[in-house]
Amino acid sequence: MTELLSIFEYQFFRHAMAAAVLTSILAAMIGTYIVSRKIVFISGGITHASFGGIGMAFYMGLNPFFGAAVFAVLTALGIEWISSRGKVREDSAIAILWSLGMALGIIFVFLTPGYTPNLMSFLFGSILSVGIAELQLLLIFCIFMALFYLVFYRPVVYSAFDPEFSKIMGIPVAFYRYIMAVLIALAIVISIRTVGIILVLSLFTIPQITAMLFTRSFARIIPLAALWGIIGSVAGLYSAYLFDIPTGAAMIFFLTLQFLVIKGIFLIRGLLIRTAA
Amino acid sequence: MSTPLVKLEKVSTGYDSKAVLRDVSLEIHPDDFIGVIGPNGGGKTTLVKVILGILPLFKGRVTFPSGKPKTGYLPQASQIDRTFPISVKELVSAGLKAPNGWFPRLSRKQRQKVNRMLEEAGLENLASKPIGELSGGQLQKAFLCRALINQPQLLILDEPNTYVDKNFEQELYAWLKKLSPDKAIMLISHDIGTITPMVKSIACVNGGLHYHPSNQLTEEVMKVYNCPVDVIAHGPIPHRVLKTHDS
Repeated sequence: MTELLSIFEYQFFRHAMAAAVLTSILAAMIGTYIVSRKIVFISGGITHASFGGIGMAFYMGLNPFFGAAVFAVLTALGIEWISSRGKVREDSAIAILWSLGMALGIIFVFLTPGYTPNLMSFLFGSILSVGIAELQLLLIFCIFMALFYLVFYRPVVYSAFDPEFSKIMGIPVAFYRYIMAVLIALAIVISIRTVGIILVLSLFTIPQITAMLFTRSFARIIPLAALWGIIGSVAGLYSAYLFDIPTGAAMIFFLTLQFLVIKGIFLIRGLLIRTAA
Repeated sequence: MSTPLVKLEKVSTGYDSKAVLRDVSLEIHPDDFIGVIGPNGGGKTTLVKVILGILPLFKGRVTFPSGKPKTGYLPQASQIDRTFPISVKELVSAGLKAPNGWFPRLSRKQRQKVNRMLEEAGLENLASKPIGELSGGQLQKAFLCRALINQPQLLILDEPNTYVDKNFEQELYAWLKKLSPDKAIMLISHDIGTITPMVKSIACVNGGLHYHPSNQLTEEVMKVYNCPVDVIAHGPIPHRVLKTHDS
């Protein structure tokens, strides 16, 4: 036990722990919207397209996060626009943007002279090197998102659930959908630091579907998903330290394990109730 | 003659550049109870979208002579994602419109209004349940509550009898009958037989629109379908006559 606590003496671990907690909270707020609106695939497209921005920023000597954010936001707005027009097959459009982003990223990284040391940390995350500035950014985004939901909860949920009816009720549906697309893109980019491009989407989906085993109310899924996200990612972080394995992968493994165990308990309980009846 | 709530004049519209409705004219008056019938793909839902103002017109115009009426709308069941995490109470309160279009948290008065509406529909025990746990009939009732809660002048129901059992259908029609004296109702159905006894007039939609100022089904109405339909003959004892097919 003392060994488990002694790791907190290291600043990098305290930062990593804070990043895991804050990312889980942010992912719970954004991910509940993603899972409810069934736009996981869209979010996957946004995530991977952002790699193009990372590559381009490397090549031009800019901050890679800035490049990722620009690419992610543009992709998100583009997909929302395509889906609102309903003329192009949405899934095909997403697949194109998804792979185009990755391709651009690879090309630009290849063209960048010298070694690109941070590349792996973008693909697989590097939570152990999160700095205080990034934590502050995460915290500000979390607070902003919480306030946003506090004020705009109803129009956001209604626009997601039944856009046509919401339009009739005078809600500017397109405005809320675009705003949410931008917020999804930014939340994903900020969270890439924690677990990397390849794994980030699971933070926005696994805790949410775990929470949905307990409740089917949008407002209640958020805190519950945050809780499951925190438990799973902190457990992952610890085991990464104990077994000396990559942090991002360990966190996702624990989130999935947690989901499967809880789902299993629910299945067994259901079976017992049925046999008893 | 009263001032119409909604007036469609030679409206043509559709999706992309494909016209679904051509040269459609219709007036909806405050005490109307219009049954809209017609084959699938004939443009019934498109007509609704025109009246609701959510579909741009190719030609013609839609006017509201006495100002835009408060409208309640029940969409087709197939348009709804039943797995969405939203409770019955949240669903019904989506129909409450704040005067300035702003949607803040519900006031005490609004919450009471939602509760009263749910009681009227007999859904008070299901208020906190997610919509995915409701039966087809209960869900349609909840959607009807959402359409009614803002006390609309015009109520538009798009196929409210899909996925519901016969018992609920009777209950629904009894409810509509109770509502009909003080609001205009537009009821869309592909089930021509069931709706005709209760409506005051019929609009047949099949590319164009034929308006019949009574609920009697005539040969002309039948022509729209071009296939065998159940015909209700109105008499002292209601009975059904199955019309033979010509071709």
